[in-house]
Amino acid sequence: MANYELINELTQFILKESRFCDQSLYSDWESLWTDDGHYWVPRGPNMDPEKHVSHLNDNRMRIQTRIKALNSGTRHSQLPVSPMSRVISPIELEAEEGDEYQVGVNFNLTEMAIQSTHDMHIWAGRITYQLRRVEGELKMARKKVVLVNGNEPIPNISFLI
Amino acid sequence: MNMPEQGLKRDYSHLIQEGKVHSSMYTSDQVFDDEMEAIFHHGWVFVGHDSEIPNTGDYVLRQLGKQPVIMTRDKDGGVNVIRNRCAHRANMVCGYEGENKKVLVCPYHGWVYDLKGALIDVPHPDGYPDDFDKSQLGMVPATQIGVYRGFVFASLEGSGITLAEHLGDATALIDRAVDLSPEGELELQAGWLQHRFKANWKMLPENDCDGYHVETTHASFMHATDSQAMDLLADTDAEPPVVRDWGNGHMEIDFNVAYRSRNIPFEWFGRVPASKLPKYTAAMIKAYGEERAHELSVTGPPHAIIFPNLFLGELNVVFYYPVSANECVQLYTPMSLKGAPEVNKRAIHQTEGAVGPASFLIPEDVIIAERNQSGLSAGGQEWVDLSRGMHREYEEDGKIVSHMSDETVNRGFWRRHREEMLRDHSA
Ligand code: FES
Ligand SMILES: [Fe+2]
Repeated sequence: MANYELINELTQFILKESRFCDQSLYSDWESLWTDDGHYWVPRGPNMDPEKHVSHLNDNRMRIQTRIKALNSGTRHSQLPVSPMSRVISPIELEAEEGDEYQVGVNFNLTEMAIQSTHDMHIWAGRITYQLRRVEGELKMARKKVVLVNGNEPIPNISFLI
Repeated sequence: MNMPEQGLKRDYSHLIQEGKVHSSMYTSDQVFDDEMEAIFHHGWVFVGHDSEIPNTGDYVLRQLGKQPVIMTRDKDGGVNVIRNRCAHRANMVCGYEGENKKVLVCPYHGWVYDLKGALIDVPHPDGYPDDFDKSQLGMVPATQIGVYRGFVFASLEGSGITLAEHLGDATALIDRAVDLSPEGELELQAGWLQHRFKANWKMLPENDCDGYHVETTHASFMHATDSQAMDLLADTDAEPPVVRDWGNGHMEIDFNVAYRSRNIPFEWFGRVPASKLPKYTAAMIKAYGEERAHELSVTGPPHAIIFPNLFLGELNVVFYYPVSANECVQLYTPMSLKGAPEVNKRAIHQTEGAVGPASFLIPEDVIIAERNQSGLSAGGQEWVDLSRGMHREYEEDGKIVSHMSDETVNRGFWRRHREEMLRDHSA
């Protein structure tokens, strides 16, 4: 039987993480990561990050660099930041081992590209999180986002996806 | 945006001048149509790399101007560029990229073509008379196709010049990239990132070799990273990077002169110490000898445009599709070097950092290009100024060279553009 307390805790974490993304709360978002975090947006399912070029494939160092660029005040592609709203599906606890949980969700994200075209962009796909309890607190060790259109010509993803 | 003289033959010798270009060159649908015809259908364009289709029956789908094409590897080992149009009723024979094929079968009525596009079979042939000539009904190949060190170029309708004439001296730029492989070959197998821009396609080549915008457009990257490019510019003892017009619209920002004068191996490669690339270094020495291998490690890859649609940007191969006057798609893949897994492993992550929709650099160029496209609609000034550096450029080995921030290369691009727009293709 599912542990509803655990499911609820994981859900709350993911909803908070999504809100940080929607609101471009860069440093708050960065603080959710473990020290070995891996943020990955492949072009599709079944990709090998060492063989196939990805849209985004940040180790913890590069996550830090990304946030530094976004916080610089000169990241033109997010000036002003995109207003966004994402809807997250109920979560699926895909695997559990010790203090680590693999959680899958589907998402639907509406982004207003107010920096230039003022087009409304729809992004959708599945996110797989690796969440880990570190000193009692949930942290994000991995976030993998598989877009439905990752292998198509897509506009900028310089916001947090 | 329409010009009053819409519908009339445009005078490109007026619209494209030395040091200035008319705004309509970026915004007019008619100019776009003329460009597709003159530059993308008649002219030589980059199609792909032969390492994308290593085996017989491998194929990829591409778009040349307004025409969908297939690049195939046939059973004789040759590379073909054929129009993706069934000779029967024009269905696209291949609708998507997928597994290796023995023959190309049109999914509409089942006509069967070989990998060179020749029609070999039609279902229920009794519906056609005895003198039905299959040899007249193939998928139509490009009029000209040429391969230089694996880079496949084609002219769909015939350019009137050879590939060697088109490339001219710019083969040296391709050599500078491919020679970084100890086997002298590239292997593009990592797939392509695809990026959509709501801007005119020419913003891409014009921006890719623009040294003037780096400090401002890419300020966030400079702020967030320890960039070797900034060190290079700050080093007053080193030879400064320059822009060089290679003729025929090919051009580069030559960082390599600066890297050479600083003589630091792999400075161009995020300053990775040579000790981290031991197998690569050994393989390069074996292939080229100590001296040349050192020179290659110091000089690095080019940062260059091959007219009209190929950008060799450090260890990235980049090309683009015009979609309309106001839209284009740019594609990126790491320039994987055959026989250099240590380099390739890093190059893939450099590509992810530098180019692509989620990277640190190109998203900035996209936003600027999109705003640039909107700015062009404002009146008051009809012309785009490209005069920077005209007073200080100079000739070196028959090429025009200038300060890295000068629009010398834009002028070179437009000279070729105008030449192609004015070329009489009926001849
Ligand atoms: S259109 Fe291809 S077989 Fe009819
Ligand atoms: Fe740029």
